[in-house]
Amino acid sequence: MMRSRPVARLHELQLLVWVAALSITGYLAVVAAASGRFAWLELVVPAVALAIFGLLHIFLVSIGFRGDQLLLPLAVGLTAIGFILVERLAPGLLLQQLSWLVIAAGAFCVTILIPRDLSALSRYKYTWALVGLLLLISPLLPVVGREINGARIWVGIRGIAQFEPWELVKIALVIFFAAYLEEHREMLSTPPRRIGPIPVPPLPYLLPIVGMWLVAMLVMVFEKDLGATLLFFGIFLAMLYLATGEPFYVVVGLLLLVGGGFVAYHAFNHVAARVDVWLAPFSSDLRFDTGYQLTQGLFSLANAGLFGAGLGNGMPERIPVVWSDFVFDAFTEEVGFVGALALLALYLVFVYRGMLIALRAPTTFLQLLAAGLSFIIAFQTLVIVGGNAKLIPLTGITLPFVAYGGSSLVTNFMLVGLLLRVSDITARVRR
Amino acid sequence: MSRTIAANIRRLTLVIAVAFLVTSIGVGYWSLVAADDLNADPFNPRLIAAVRDRPRGRIVDASGRVLAASVRDADSYRRRYTDRSLAEVVGYASFKYGASGVEAAYQGSLIGQDPSDLVGQWRARYLGVRTEPGSVVIGIDPKIQQAAVTALAGRRGAIVALDPKTGRILASVSLPNYEANLLVDPAQQDTAWDQLNRNTDKPLINRVAQGLYPPGSTMKIITAAAALENGVNPDQKIRVDDPYQADRSWGDYFVRSSSGAHGDFDMSLAFQRSENIYFAKLGLTIGGAKLAEYAKRFGIGRVPAVDLPAAKGQLSNSGQLERPTLVADTSYGQGELLTSPLQMALVAATVGNHGVAVQPHYVMEIRDPSGGVLRTIGGGAADQVIRADTAAKLTALLVAAVEAPGAFAFGARIPGVHVAGKTGTAENPSGSPHGWFVGFAPAEDPQIAVAVIIENAGQGGVDAAPVGGAVMRAALGK
Repeated sequence: MMRSRPVARLHELQLLVWVAALSITGYLAVVAAASGRFAWLELVVPAVALAIFGLLHIFLVSIGFRGDQLLLPLAVGLTAIGFILVERLAPGLLLQQLSWLVIAAGAFCVTILIPRDLSALSRYKYTWALVGLLLLISPLLPVVGREINGARIWVGIRGIAQFEPWELVKIALVIFFAAYLEEHREMLSTPPRRIGPIPVPPLPYLLPIVGMWLVAMLVMVFEKDLGATLLFFGIFLAMLYLATGEPFYVVVGLLLLVGGGFVAYHAFNHVAARVDVWLAPFSSDLRFDTGYQLTQGLFSLANAGLFGAGLGNGMPERIPVVWSDFVFDAFTEEVGFVGALALLALYLVFVYRGMLIALRAPTTFLQLLAAGLSFIIAFQTLVIVGGNAKLIPLTGITLPFVAYGGSSLVTNFMLVGLLLRVSDITARVRR
Repeated sequence: MSRTIAANIRRLTLVIAVAFLVTSIGVGYWSLVAADDLNADPFNPRLIAAVRDRPRGRIVDASGRVLAASVRDADSYRRRYTDRSLAEVVGYASFKYGASGVEAAYQGSLIGQDPSDLVGQWRARYLGVRTEPGSVVIGIDPKIQQAAVTALAGRRGAIVALDPKTGRILASVSLPNYEANLLVDPAQQDTAWDQLNRNTDKPLINRVAQGLYPPGSTMKIITAAAALENGVNPDQKIRVDDPYQADRSWGDYFVRSSSGAHGDFDMSLAFQRSENIYFAKLGLTIGGAKLAEYAKRFGIGRVPAVDLPAAKGQLSNSGQLERPTLVADTSYGQGELLTSPLQMALVAATVGNHGVAVQPHYVMEIRDPSGGVLRTIGGGAADQVIRADTAAKLTALLVAAVEAPGAFAFGARIPGVHVAGKTGTAENPSGSPHGWFVGFAPAEDPQIAVAVIIENAGQGGVDAAPVGGAVMRAALGK
């Protein structure tokens, strides 16, 4: 992007001060509740995290960035909640999470500095599709591929760092869909023929995206990750609908989902196990077996009541892998239903803001891109919170920004960077 | 062009907002609506954790013998259990695997939050200050319990004895049982838990209340009660010819007499010899609807109002008796019937108690730390299930079933006391027949009612009758 004179971003600064105040309070509450096992590291880490948040703001000010002023405070606010929960649930992972935040901040800045009007993204759409596919396949490769907890979705070097490439793929997928659909949306949304009320889609034009989606689904099935499979499916349907406004695609898509789910239930043990747990986690043969995690999560929610047990006073540590799969239940147990609503409201405001950026964007590509990225945050939140609250089967998808996990943090900060870039372009065009 | 995209974005945002609303309601359901149930769930580790650093209340039996107490163990308290024969009744309170039995059902009383103590509950919830817990007294009589353990002699099965007038459970044995001390020992609990759950004999369940078996011939008490109250004359002879079928529509299906009988039976002889064909004809005479009604009155297919977890069993898969063959089979205790020993003990108790069914209970009273009684358990509603004169006739029939020459239940006889009882031999899918005995004594003024089941017993009811006799003898001090 073009460099220009620094601009004041007062709303952003004001909100960041609130984020700092709230996160310091929450953090101290957790530290105070866990008296007796305090280490200097536990004060240094949040201080560094807050400093990074401040530096991101200074960076945006210094390059004269004109984009949205709400998204960054929302994203770092949620990240701060994530740090409070890591300190609460798995203090041993604090330093790791901080290292990932440094990388995430770097990725954010790089995204902000993407040249010109993001047209490179749309021009090289097939390159992005290819990169996405390579990333997808990478965990299946020898040497770098890793299988963790039954899902082969990791690449990394043993003992140093692991990364889940599909997190990056979700962004590549949105970029590709947005670029492709911009080019062909007229053909797709006004089909030449109709049989009764059913439009006959122009198959040749649908082929590339359906193909891309199909490959993604197949790979995820091989890598045994339900969450990512569901997310890719959601992205695919949402983007098609956004571009065409044709409910036909959504209906067919949902039918495919139901049919696919039915087949998967009978074909794959890991899918059947998830569904069985979802239907009856408290049954006597599951509650101490595969249903243990979910029942402990629900006990956490039950202990929440209206105002919660108080930070540090609940028992969410009883939930296995609570820091990545069940942070929402852990958070809710200690801050109550009221706190849970506040957290969900933060996500809704984030999504609303993202959709607003999409509405105002100057080109179809940017509109589809911003809406698709916002949809990712909404969908991930709904799928994991719904799984934590037994509304839908549990999947290993992460709660954006809050859940512990490096790949997710880095990718989501890139996502915020892209959304901010779209709003910056809009501001410059409109000036 | 881009205007339609804007409309699509708005619509998608609306859908997302609605989904957030639904999700919020779901979270609210668990944290507000379902919270009370989950917070009181015996598997919820929070209640146990809340008092890990303080002793839980003691569980004692009627004689004051301590069955469960907390002992200091490094920086926390651990439960110690003293009577393995009561493992399924007393239960366990494990930090990891939750609680069961009395430890679960009376959890509140054991951590100083007895439901009768509203101030204590309020202080625990809002101030975090807990009342010192007292003790939970169960009605088990150690003398009768010991006699039951000895009589069952390690065989798979269950024995329950109760007071027919008050419903107080006097003895309760379920085998195989388990060593509860292993489940509260952090070093051994995981292995123990795994082994217990893998064990196909299911040692963790309380067979007395949760074990379900076909009642076999003990069901004939209910069939006879229904017949007596629907105009059947017990002295009228009914012709029995083995094998029996009502008509050709039964195809190749026959009711079989266990003794291959050919002859005339009145009700008393039919009870003594446990004649299936007699009772099948009785059931067909009064009809499936009447038989089903009386089975339900006696509590078949319903969870007994007992203070520990209990199974409800079933009259039949559909809950009705539509087919004549099913009516015939149900009349002598096979068909699709499933009952627990506790339910069948209650059937005997009801007959002994002049037709009045009382509510069974394991726990007698809750005491405060100084030994004062906080509240007593039991004394719930009593129902007149059958008429007193019907109960008297049945009692005479059941005494004959034990005492008459050649009676199958002779093993339950006690010198100097009239014993009423009925054996049963239950065909089942798991191997050789289960042996049943239900009865009460003394017949004219019963102090005790029992039910015995011995799984896959070699000789069925003939094995179970002396076990029931031994338990009743201990209770009567003979």
